[in-house]
Amino acid sequence: MTSEIIAAQEVTKIFGGLTAVNHVSLAVREGEIFSIIGPNGAGKTTLFNCISGFYTPESGEVLFRGVSIRGKGTDTIATIGISRTYQNIRLFANLTALENVMVGMHHQSRETWGDAVLRTPRFRREERDAIREGMKWLAFVGLQNFANNAAGSLPYGEQRKLEIARALASKPAVLLLDEPTAGMNPHETLDMIALIQRMRAEFNVTIILIEHDMHVVMGISDRVAVLDFGEKIAEGMPAEIQANERVIEAYLGRGGAALAQKYREAKCP
Amino acid sequence: MKQNLRQSLNTGITFGLVHVFLVLIGFNTLIGTLFAKLFGTPVSGSQPPAFTLIIYTAILGIWAGLAATKKAQNRTLPGFLAAGTLSGLTAGVIGFLFSLGLGWFLVNRVDFRQYLAFLSFDFIKATLFNLTPLLGALLTAGIFTAAGAVGGLVNGVRNIRRVKEGFNTIRLAGGRVVYNASALLHGRHRLFVRIGLLTALAALIILLPLKWGSYWNYVAGTVGLYVILGLGLNIIVGLSGQLVLGYIAFFAIGAYTMALLNSPIPHNLMWGFWPAVVLGVVLAALAGLLLGLPLMRLRGDYLAIVTLGFGEIIRILLKSDVLTDFTGGPRGIQNINGPVLFGKAFNSDIHFTYLIFAAVVLAAFVYSHLENSRTGRAWLAIREDETVARATGVNTTRYKLLALALGAAFAGLAGAIYASRNQFTGPEEHSLMASINVISLIIVGGMGNIPGTILGAFALKGLPEILREFANYRLLTFGALLVVMMLSRPNGLIPSRRPRYKIKDELENNPGSAEGENDQ
Repeated sequence: MTSEIIAAQEVTKIFGGLTAVNHVSLAVREGEIFSIIGPNGAGKTTLFNCISGFYTPESGEVLFRGVSIRGKGTDTIATIGISRTYQNIRLFANLTALENVMVGMHHQSRETWGDAVLRTPRFRREERDAIREGMKWLAFVGLQNFANNAAGSLPYGEQRKLEIARALASKPAVLLLDEPTAGMNPHETLDMIALIQRMRAEFNVTIILIEHDMHVVMGISDRVAVLDFGEKIAEGMPAEIQANERVIEAYLGRGGAALAQKYREAKCP
Repeated sequence: MKQNLRQSLNTGITFGLVHVFLVLIGFNTLIGTLFAKLFGTPVSGSQPPAFTLIIYTAILGIWAGLAATKKAQNRTLPGFLAAGTLSGLTAGVIGFLFSLGLGWFLVNRVDFRQYLAFLSFDFIKATLFNLTPLLGALLTAGIFTAAGAVGGLVNGVRNIRRVKEGFNTIRLAGGRVVYNASALLHGRHRLFVRIGLLTALAALIILLPLKWGSYWNYVAGTVGLYVILGLGLNIIVGLSGQLVLGYIAFFAIGAYTMALLNSPIPHNLMWGFWPAVVLGVVLAALAGLLLGLPLMRLRGDYLAIVTLGFGEIIRILLKSDVLTDFTGGPRGIQNINGPVLFGKAFNSDIHFTYLIFAAVVLAAFVYSHLENSRTGRAWLAIREDETVARATGVNTTRYKLLALALGAAFAGLAGAIYASRNQFTGPEEHSLMASINVISLIIVGGMGNIPGTILGAFALKGLPEILREFANYRLLTFGALLVVMMLSRPNGLIPSRRPRYKIKDELENNPGSAEGENDQ
């Protein structure tokens, strides 16, 4: 029995009159790739924001390794081992790719501003290590040749990878990926799938994924949760989700399940 | 063809109108006087000799010719010549008509000075090159046309392929020289090269003030103080991205600390310079921290407005009646004692120049070391995207406070030296305009880097002194400079560049692997 690393318990987030996330509970196990899917506006990103500390839920708890992180600052949460990427890429555009990753490693260094001014041995050591480490993370996502380029000048797909490298550089136990393949062509999507699997294999990092591309979701997820109008309507193995009537209804509307059944029969009798 | 024609005509009309405008504000004789001084010609009376005005007109005309042919590519040499001549001629026609108009005023003794202060008869005579109106107007048109042709020709010659290649060769050679020079800085003998360069620079810094008189030492000192201010504000605005407008308040705190501790009135404490400087820096940094605490939740415009208020509060407090006994009130504080070092009192501007240069070196040292460090990267991350920086693990509150405190400390240092050098400080020295000056200098010079800050301080504080003739036009020139600069170099005269780390060996040692976790 693997232990739960992230647990959301009855999380509720309200914006004005809109209940964006309504009593949602999730339990993500260590080392798992866990996907959250759902139609647009279902509350997936809001739930992400509740876990990573951007929002404090109105009610409910978020546990990391059994300890509540509800209401903690995003910097604290990042430091204890939860990193994330963003749906719309948010890099430090004017910094180089390497510097972006080095910011990701910020909390692992004990170097102070006094060290920097006086150029102490600790400063030299920490900077050297940071550059070496940073290059390894860039190499891991295949960006080693872009190290000194401004992050904002990289092609779109590379920016997504750089965001992942920056998140990985903080050595997280849990990595939240918000639509990592959005806007990518099929080839880039395959690359990204391989990268996600490589991350888990090499660093044993737990990955929670928001994704619209069903090939990605069904291909790499261990388990999938489905949100619709802020509520969790299903959770289970990919195959179970594919057959779940409520899920199909949520995506295709009422009667959609029957329609889908008909379509399937017509396609493969 | 038609388009080329129109471009030439447009440029000509623009330059003609610019000429009219400049003459109306007396700019032509101003430049003329400058030229006369440059050539060492004595200026008799109030107006410069005619030949200087001919030079001025010719420069404007050449400029018109250059501008008219700037974007031309596939043109023959005569094409360039024609385009330049046409634009010069157009400007010349406008200048001709304008000069005729001026001449009419002169002949009919119409005094226009009530409306345009510069249009005295002497001035009009000088503008007409001391000729009759018709001849003067014709000469104006002639100079414009000829000079426009020269401008067109210059661009035309530059566009000939052989010449172009020649230029490219020179540029490449220049690039190679720069490359080799920078290689020297990082090469095997880098220690010797650097020590050599530093010695040369130090010698220059030590020897130059000896050559300057008291006045230029004073100017150099002011520029130096503004460099320190610029670097301090650069930490706050350029690195950590917080737009603080009332920055001069920290300068005021440093200045008043020095003043109150070293003046016979009102307290007669006479602590001496060095303890006061240290205390001034510490107090300014503390003020930065205190101001920072309520600012932490504010961003962008709101931050700017609140800090603007802070600056004004400090200034008004300093001159308020309630605190007159403590701060000296609106009259300020006089007779501030200067520093004493090794038993020698600082009593001339040259001593202060050395002191200020030492402070500049210290400030630049601290700034450059912070820029490319974990702290500097955290600041830059906050500037780029505060929310994400925080979610990446940067304690944004702490780093923003640190930036404010350090930036304020720089200002405190500059303020303390400033008060000691001038032997006076008063509330009106610390007005909003001073804050805006500092912000302007880092914007003009280029946000977030040392050479840019030095250049900006020089451009804003040194140049007006060198071009004393421009004094009346300082704000005009300054405004024009800002507009031109924002259009042509939106990132400042010297834009910031991020460091390129040497990473080659890292890659060779670890080709494509990522075993970062197992290393330690």
